[in-house]
Amino acid sequence: MGSNALSYSETFKDHLANPRNVGELSDANAVAEETNPVCGDRLRLSMRIRNGRIEAARFLAYGCPPTLVCGSALAEIIEGMSTEDAVKLTRREIVKAVGGLSTRKQHAAALAIEVLRTGIENWRHGSMA
Amino acid sequence: MRKVYLDHSATTPVDPRVVEAMLPYLTEKFGNASSVHLFGQEARAAVDRARRQVASLIGARANEIVFTSGGTESNNLAIRGICEIAEARGRHIITSVIEHSSVGGTIDFLEKRGWDVTRLPVYDDGVVRLEDVQAAIRSDTVLISVMMANNEIGTIQPIAEIGALVRAERERGRRYLWFHTDAVQAAGRLTINVETVGCDLLSLSAHKIYAPKGNGALFIRRGLRLLPQQVGGHQERERRAGTESVANIVAFGAAAELAQREMNKRNEHTRRLRDRFESVVTKRLDEIRFNGNREQRLPHLSNISFRFIEGEGLLIHLDMQGVAVSTGSACSSGTLEPSPVIRALGRDEELARGAIRFSFGKDNSAEDVDYVVEVLARAVESLRKLSPLHRRSVVAV
Repeated sequence: MGSNALSYSETFKDHLANPRNVGELSDANAVAEETNPVCGDRLRLSMRIRNGRIEAARFLAYGCPPTLVCGSALAEIIEGMSTEDAVKLTRREIVKAVGGLSTRKQHAAALAIEVLRTGIENWRHGSMA
Repeated sequence: MRKVYLDHSATTPVDPRVVEAMLPYLTEKFGNASSVHLFGQEARAAVDRARRQVASLIGARANEIVFTSGGTESNNLAIRGICEIAEARGRHIITSVIEHSSVGGTIDFLEKRGWDVTRLPVYDDGVVRLEDVQAAIRSDTVLISVMMANNEIGTIQPIAEIGALVRAERERGRRYLWFHTDAVQAAGRLTINVETVGCDLLSLSAHKIYAPKGNGALFIRRGLRLLPQQVGGHQERERRAGTESVANIVAFGAAAELAQREMNKRNEHTRRLRDRFESVVTKRLDEIRFNGNREQRLPHLSNISFRFIEGEGLLIHLDMQGVAVSTGSACSSGTLEPSPVIRALGRDEELARGAIRFSFGKDNSAEDVDYVVEVLARAVESLRKLSPLHRRSVVAV
């Protein structure tokens, strides 16, 4: 019946117990929401981008613990990052930031990368989700 | 950190009185129950006593009990054993959509080998309807397998009525229709009498009634022949080969006797805790749904869907606070399997994913309930704040 807390790292559990950057920015100029079509996990990211730099980022997530935790790690990592650097972020870096994930849970990190890239893409094209 | 175990439908702690009963059979009384010498006779006497104790729990005769390695083996032996011996009489099985995987998986296995299967619905209350059973019976039906009480939502099925239906079919001349019920969750919680139930086969598991894991039993009505699934020994009257696990069997017997003696007390206690839990949770949290018929269910179990959140996240949150519960959903490799039982109630995907089972035991206390409610309310609130399905948390930074 699912995973247990022992299978996750301390960093992972800390993100789960104290998620960073939760919510939605009132003055976001880059927003994206992605859903994993297979399992229905959902990640929403709102960012305020000024002069090519992500000034603030907030996330909302629905799904299994890895999705929540990857959303939290993502929103924390990208704050202060240039959009150029942010689009180069990889799934592996998200996995590392949450203290590791088993292969079968890495789809959560892939969803985080997807929502980030869509958000930046939307900002570049001036559209919002 | 306080630890509260609310997963007694998964397994129970071993009762110290049960440990005491089994210990001699792990030390000085180590004989093989098939041996003719004194050591063997001592073990045989212990197994026979346990067989009477287990039989008594369900109103059976001792020689109608076959010890197995657990509920899964009992279900395999019952279903495959009867279907494989009766295949010349018909190859149709009736079951429900909410059976435990050890029943569902065994029937799937037979289906792949050519048996026809009718899976009965359970409607929004999680209960099989007698008229559906009746309508599903065909001339080639050989087995009806419906659980006594469900493991996820605790709903009690109309087993005695199905038994009466099968009996009536027999009286009309049908000789080759048998009735199996998986009573793994019901045993020790419901008064069971195989005569009243009218079943031919009934599965039990030891570790659900405060005995160790690794032992179970199958009631096989006197005169009924099964095709053994494990051969190569004369044990259990040729119905299940293999040296008896004497200490485990003794433990099962002791646990069965205690369960029978203390059933009313345990049920009153767990029902009081469960009802207190549900009443406080209802006051503290909105957007929740109780799953399954709340009258016709086991007294120790509560299954609740929490809207906007996913069960596994809630389970881990509770686990980090020392509270052990279960969820029927599992996510792996990007594919989600929401609980089939909750889905069978007609719940949407979100409610099926957000379902948690709380199952109380004889050693839980009112303080446990209060602690769990506090932890649960905080965890649900915290996860809902994160959820894009819930009201949006707009912030100015």
